[in-house]
Amino acid sequence: MIKPFKIVGWVSVLLLISIAIVWHNAVPKQLTLRFYPFLGNKPLVLNNEKYPNPGGKGVFTIRDFQFFISNLELTNNRNHYSEQESYHLARFDVGKAYYEIIVSEISVSKFKQLVFNVGIDRKANGTIVIAGDLDPNSRMAWNWQVGYKFLLLEGSLFTQEKQQPLVYHIGFNESYTRLSFPLNSNTVSNEGIIELKVDILTLFNQAKPIDMNEIPNVKFDPEDVAKIANGFHHFISVM
Amino acid sequence: MLKMKSLAAVSFVCVVITVVSTYFFSINKQPNTQLVEFTAPFVFGRFQIPKDNPLTVESVKLGRRLFYDPLLSKNNKVSCASCHKQSLAFTDGLAFSVGVSGKALPFNSMSLVNLMWGPKHFFWNGRSSSLENQALQPIEHVDEMGSNLDDLIEELSEIKAYQILFAQAYGELNGANIAKALANFQRSLVSSNSRYDQFLRGEISLSEQEELGRKLFMAHPDTKVSLRGGNCIDCHSQFLTSGFSSVFDGFSNNGLDDDINLAEGLYSLTKLEAHRGLFKAPTLRNIAVTSPYMHDGRFKTLEEVLAHYNGGIKRSKTLSPLIIEADNLADAKAEHISLNLAPHEVVAIISFLHTLTDESFLTNKAFSDPFKAGKLND
Repeated sequence: MIKPFKIVGWVSVLLLISIAIVWHNAVPKQLTLRFYPFLGNKPLVLNNEKYPNPGGKGVFTIRDFQFFISNLELTNNRNHYSEQESYHLARFDVGKAYYEIIVSEISVSKFKQLVFNVGIDRKANGTIVIAGDLDPNSRMAWNWQVGYKFLLLEGSLFTQEKQQPLVYHIGFNESYTRLSFPLNSNTVSNEGIIELKVDILTLFNQAKPIDMNEIPNVKFDPEDVAKIANGFHHFISVM
Repeated sequence: MLKMKSLAAVSFVCVVITVVSTYFFSINKQPNTQLVEFTAPFVFGRFQIPKDNPLTVESVKLGRRLFYDPLLSKNNKVSCASCHKQSLAFTDGLAFSVGVSGKALPFNSMSLVNLMWGPKHFFWNGRSSSLENQALQPIEHVDEMGSNLDDLIEELSEIKAYQILFAQAYGELNGANIAKALANFQRSLVSSNSRYDQFLRGEISLSEQEELGRKLFMAHPDTKVSLRGGNCIDCHSQFLTSGFSSVFDGFSNNGLDDDINLAEGLYSLTKLEAHRGLFKAPTLRNIAVTSPYMHDGRFKTLEEVLAHYNGGIKRSKTLSPLIIEADNLADAKAEHISLNLAPHEVVAIISFLHTLTDESFLTNKAFSDPFKAGKLND
């Protein structure tokens, strides 16, 4: 004779285990960052799409666009996660509409804030350390005495009079910019995906929009670099 | 009595299992390999070797013999080394290589050096995605070596030395393993002892002229901060001096032709208009001994190459904006594209390019013709 309270006891245990399994599986085990490139409201189309010069006459095309995201962290009051060798080169010419970073083996719900930086920290920028996507033999390296380009934007400007090259190679330690985003049910999907908009126009649409005719290239001039890098603060936002 | 019989039966079964398993494992024994010992500078960066083709002494030895063996060609007269001569940094000194058909091939023979780094797409137009994939193409190409792979395998199978070398390296003689062995010999071709390498290691100083050339090589010009540059580094990485490895970053249109005459280049692989006329930026290591230059060998000397960048650039739709913009002029005059370098700056860059010659690579016996060395089984 099995006593009824024993049956109830076992059923309760099984129920608790089931709930635990369902709950366990429902919590995302990884955070996926998806970066979508835009120019204002228009998605970036390399080579074939023309966009208006933000501060002057003419239209421009983009041939290449790459930038570094580094030192990714997840935080809340008690928990802190820092990604190792955290150097990611975001690029959009490999057949996908977005660039993706996956932070695996973490419980997304434990964290309230996502932090990363545009560019490369002073220490890595001043050495030839090979970590993550850092590669001193890559297109993003100037040379070991100068460091890395944090952002590379190349294309052409077309005006009635002429076509001219656009070369924006933005680096320097001063340009390294920390960005943070809240992690909650509004910003992160049930699958653990946070979608981020990368707006190239924020680099040019500043207090006084930049005329690409006046500044068609930026490389080593500190003032010009600072003008563009100032846009890094609003460069990436939650979609 | 019964116990004795059972014991004998069990013993017999054990002996049979032992004999059969010993035989089974002996015939399926993996070759006793060890990794090739080589050193490469830290600054070359990471490299990857395919998991299914470890860089073993046996595979490199086999690959070296295959590389130098004219048996690989239809008429048994052309080997890989016919178009890739060690003394010329594995090029052949011709604008267009010539194989078994006697017809000039469409491209200039590429130098084989430091192939584990740099672009992961091989040939001038990037049509091959691995050294293994690349290796059989010239062997089977009707104008290059013209071989039928099945016939070649049969031919090699009849040679005792190849039976042993394949057994030791891979266990089996087949097309895939011919490709793997050739790929691994090519991976072993590491050059890291040029005067530039010695300079990077702090062992020597460069002359004043070479140092000026190095600085110009490494700089994209910016007149706003009075920086003059030869702009070489926009396509040739600082330590490897090759094209860049990521995606198609190692391919560029360097202004050789206008739109009408622009060759397909990378377009033939990707079918993207933006890639029309882009060719692989080759390594500049040993560049002083690998003339003629460019994918079609159009320039005979380094002076001609520098003259091209210093005023000979032709405009086309996919011409690199970095080349147009790098004019060393405060007031941009985009109509005429030139680096606008002074004669002494041109000479300095050429002087630096000569520091990339690695004599120990060009004469390294490990890379030489084993048939001439006369010790094929070493």
